[in-house]
Amino acid sequence: MEKLKKKIRSFSFWNWVIASIIFRLILIYFPNNLNLSSRPEVSTPLTSFRRLSEGYWLKQLSMSPYAGSMYHGSPLLLSLLGPLTVKRIEGQPNHLLYSLVSVIADVVSAMLIRATGQNLQVAYFGTLKSFDLVKQIEGSEVHSPGDVAALIYLCNPFTIVACMGLSTSPIENMAVILCLYGACSRLIPLAAFGWVIATHMSLYPAILIIPVIFLLGRGPDAPPRKLFLQMHQEKGVLNQSKLPPCFSWGPIIHFAFWALLWSVYVLVLCGISLKQFGGLWEMFKSTYGFILTVEDLSPNIGVLWYFFAEVFEFFWNFFLIVFHANILFMILPLAIRLHHRPCYLAYVAVCSMLKSYPSVGDSALYSGLLGWFVNELSDMQFSLFLFCGYVGVSPLSPVMHNLWIWRGTGNANFYFATTMVYACLQIVLVVEGVSAMLNHDRKLRSLITGKPRDAKS
Amino acid sequence: MAETIENSHSDEKPKPRVRPIVRFGIFLVSHSFLVSIVCFTSGVLALFLLPVLAKNTYISENALMPGSASPMLSNQHVSDGNRLVKDLTNSNLKSSETGIESHKIIAQYMLDVGAEVSFHKFHPQMNQFHPLHFFSSPDSGKIQENYSCSSYGINTVGIIRAPRGDGKEAIVLVTPYNALTSSFGEVLSLGIAYSVFSLLTQVTWLAKDIIWLVADSQFGEYAAVSAWLREYQTPKFSSMSALNAEMCPDINNLFEIEVHSMAGSKFSNSFRRAGTMTAALVLKVRDQSEQFDDTISIYAEASNGQMPNLDLINVVNYLAVHRQGLRVNVEKLWSFLNLGWLKSLGEIFESLANIAKSLNPKFKFGIPATEYVEGTAILASSLYYQALGVPTGPHGAFRDYQVDAITLEISPKFSLDKVWRNDIILRGGRLIEGVIRSVNNLLEKFHQSFFLYLLTSPSKFVSVGVYMIAFALLIAPLPMVAASLYVDSNSSSNCSKGDSSTPSAITDTDEHGITIRSWRWLNSAKLVFIVHLWGAIVSVLPYFICQIPDCSPTTSFMIWVLLSILSLLILNSVLASPFACVKASQEKEWALVKSVTISSVFIGLGLMSVINFATAEIGALLMVPMCLLARPLKLDVRAGTFRSCCRIICNLVLGHIAFPPAAFFLLKGMLDGFGSANVGGFWMWVESLWAWNSATYLFIGMVQLPCWVLCVSILFHSC
Repeated sequence: MEKLKKKIRSFSFWNWVIASIIFRLILIYFPNNLNLSSRPEVSTPLTSFRRLSEGYWLKQLSMSPYAGSMYHGSPLLLSLLGPLTVKRIEGQPNHLLYSLVSVIADVVSAMLIRATGQNLQVAYFGTLKSFDLVKQIEGSEVHSPGDVAALIYLCNPFTIVACMGLSTSPIENMAVILCLYGACSRLIPLAAFGWVIATHMSLYPAILIIPVIFLLGRGPDAPPRKLFLQMHQEKGVLNQSKLPPCFSWGPIIHFAFWALLWSVYVLVLCGISLKQFGGLWEMFKSTYGFILTVEDLSPNIGVLWYFFAEVFEFFWNFFLIVFHANILFMILPLAIRLHHRPCYLAYVAVCSMLKSYPSVGDSALYSGLLGWFVNELSDMQFSLFLFCGYVGVSPLSPVMHNLWIWRGTGNANFYFATTMVYACLQIVLVVEGVSAMLNHDRKLRSLITGKPRDAKS
Repeated sequence: MAETIENSHSDEKPKPRVRPIVRFGIFLVSHSFLVSIVCFTSGVLALFLLPVLAKNTYISENALMPGSASPMLSNQHVSDGNRLVKDLTNSNLKSSETGIESHKIIAQYMLDVGAEVSFHKFHPQMNQFHPLHFFSSPDSGKIQENYSCSSYGINTVGIIRAPRGDGKEAIVLVTPYNALTSSFGEVLSLGIAYSVFSLLTQVTWLAKDIIWLVADSQFGEYAAVSAWLREYQTPKFSSMSALNAEMCPDINNLFEIEVHSMAGSKFSNSFRRAGTMTAALVLKVRDQSEQFDDTISIYAEASNGQMPNLDLINVVNYLAVHRQGLRVNVEKLWSFLNLGWLKSLGEIFESLANIAKSLNPKFKFGIPATEYVEGTAILASSLYYQALGVPTGPHGAFRDYQVDAITLEISPKFSLDKVWRNDIILRGGRLIEGVIRSVNNLLEKFHQSFFLYLLTSPSKFVSVGVYMIAFALLIAPLPMVAASLYVDSNSSSNCSKGDSSTPSAITDTDEHGITIRSWRWLNSAKLVFIVHLWGAIVSVLPYFICQIPDCSPTTSFMIWVLLSILSLLILNSVLASPFACVKASQEKEWALVKSVTISSVFIGLGLMSVINFATAEIGALLMVPMCLLARPLKLDVRAGTFRSCCRIICNLVLGHIAFPPAAFFLLKGMLDGFGSANVGGFWMWVESLWAWNSATYLFIGMVQLPCWVLCVSILFHSC
């Protein structure tokens, strides 16, 4: 019976994967009607397809791709994806090849998410076994987190829209997931590669270094040692072999070495491709500099554009520092609290709302990663409210944009209101997610130590 | 909504100290029944209070200064206009074969006063429903195919370059004119426009270019204006125009020869442009009228309930009433004027206001009952035309390009003999002149006054801040009821489990229960999603049904209904069945379904209120009671109390009324009498909605219909 159930589930998993791919392929044939690539929700100055092709065009004319403040991405993307922006096949939609690359990137990301999720599940069960808790879990319905996460990622409308909007975020997301996959399955060179590439492309994944260090040092699911000691104290026996491994610095040094190697490699490649156009400094200025100084104040679904359009210019530097330091301020306490669940920490780190140019591709990534913790987060509060909020905000944003830009009856505040609601939703999601996770840990601890469940509430 | 759900959750685990706002939220959710009744009634009441709350209009933009200059239109210009009228009538009598002749006359007149003239040839574009056009931006150059050389229209465009302007702004004057079957009213409107035009070539104060568009209305007034606007705003850089010329050489040659015979220095064959448009006036003269006064009707509704800036209407109203002594009309639903209960409601409001006034003389909010009834009739028509989302005249085409425009229709008092004709040309001309002079003063585009408003008389309006309150009160019960249902269904399942199990097993069942509890709504959400998906399919179906040739409206409608039912069955069997059996045994599943349905309706109504307020308001009046009252009939029958009997009756009545076709027939019957309503009529109505890309169509298909289906499924839920 169990096996049959499992079979049905895996069967329907592949069904859904194929359905989502087919849906994407159908949508490829309506690029002009949907006009997704020009929507501010989908394409930011960093991920816009138009800017990519503009950069490629400039480079073909042997000018600096960063001339005119149009393109702000990596020069490697220009070499890899640039040719696809101009290549056409007769009788087919204009950007067929490029869209196919996006679709492939999405599918690969989903498969990596699935593999990582299975890793996580194995680790989770390992932990439970070491606590002798397997019996308690067996009765309940346990979803396979890998399948759930992969399906959430693939069938999420945000992912589909980002993919069909020809933005580069599927590829950036793939790099992030590659990094996490490598770290979870202890493929250190791969993890380092993913981290370097993701950082190179959009800078913010750099903070993934914290969860990656924990992942490599302690493994994907390492409960606190204190808990073991507590448990065995009560039973009076201490089995040394059952203790989780200590923090090991070996893999981290290994990781650092590979990260250094990969970054030198990437920089050399960039340097070669930008030799005539001002070199690496030019690249840093117009990619990282552009990200950090929030130069482009055209509307997006973040809140910074409005803020910096309103704030006096002599306060700019101050607030830039505040906002970017805020990310670290949020991550560091969480890193202390959630150090035994590095993957969850990675999820929290990924959904930093303080990105300067966020797009729906980012929320696609973090909602996919959220699927890894489907069992742990099963008693998350406000799930219906959050779901309705996302469903409500996503059509509201284009409507407000239309009201502001096309009809002229609204103004910037209309659009900003939706971005604020969106930001609030993300905050509620993170807060509720973290508190659900902590509750879950408390519940585990109470089960282990056998104390009454006073800690739970 | 955030608050209520948040609070409802804290309701589950009572804490010793609860913040007041949380306590308030808990109070609201736990008394949701009472609160929703109060909110809904006050929402309906607030809607009926709107005519009382309407404010007097005022000119918000100081730069407009209407009527501060004395009109310069003299009898000389009137006789100019009269000359054109005579010439056109004569040419119509001579040759009514082609319209070319009269266009030539108009162009010659324009050239005579020193304006730039060009012809704009266009092919009428059929308004075709395309499901994906809703998402594309308005200016994405639609590729036109299948030109037929036989059907084309000619717009004549005259442009006066402003002596004081820099050519960056323009004011547009539009007169629809069908050269083939020209009525006298149309010719007279040309006369009025020409008299103004000839004046404007001489004045020194002009700072904006004047464009006079004589729109060829043989394919409809709107089509001509929108074709010209499309050409004006989105020039085609492709070889489209060259292609046209190649395709229809004979017509083009003929056209050109005739044109060249008029040796005009300022005539140009290419498309001429002036600056960006500040405002546009469409001028029409009605042929017959039964009015007792010279009246002027203002039509303002553009597509999807968009309105021009209120200042434009204010200026016209001010000048017409205070300077030219014309009566100003806006559309009203005449059937409302004879409603007895409305009159008594007005009397109640009046007497209430009188009592309030006797208490404190400063309270002055009452209006007389007759005025109230008239205000309600105008408000109702304002709501109706905005909700329809179909423009009420050619001015609608301008709004798509953010140009404020209205249609003025002059209905003269008496038969149009010579003296009256001169008088009407003089007064109409002076009105137009005054409006143009006001708009000419503008430094920026219209932005001071309201864009979102409802009219209750030509000089009274209800702004968005007021009418939103009525709407907010209407939909406020939705999130509260959704939250309370959600909490109820969660807590009830919790209690039943907690009581029956032994303490040692609690952890186990809890673990088990949790996975179901927190995400249990997913199942209902899936059902709701499937039904909404079905709604999307149903709204796309007419696109395919249209392709079937030779289909009468009735058969099309039948095909549509059949296909819809078929698709619902298929969707249900493909997507719903494998999952439905898993948790069908839950007793209170209907409550969760209702909760999710209400949430989705709330989202849909909220969204629609931003796109088109009037649709959302009317939709809320229909859907909110249905959503709130929906409850399985079985439960009510079993209960057998008086209250449940009432609820059954209400549910059945609402279930019939809220079905979109039924609602349409009811509305139609109320407005025009039940004789005219038939099945084909609904199809025609729907066709007109999608032809105009009205968001109302999408609303009906993707919010109202799914909501109705879900509510009916709740009614017949087997529990």
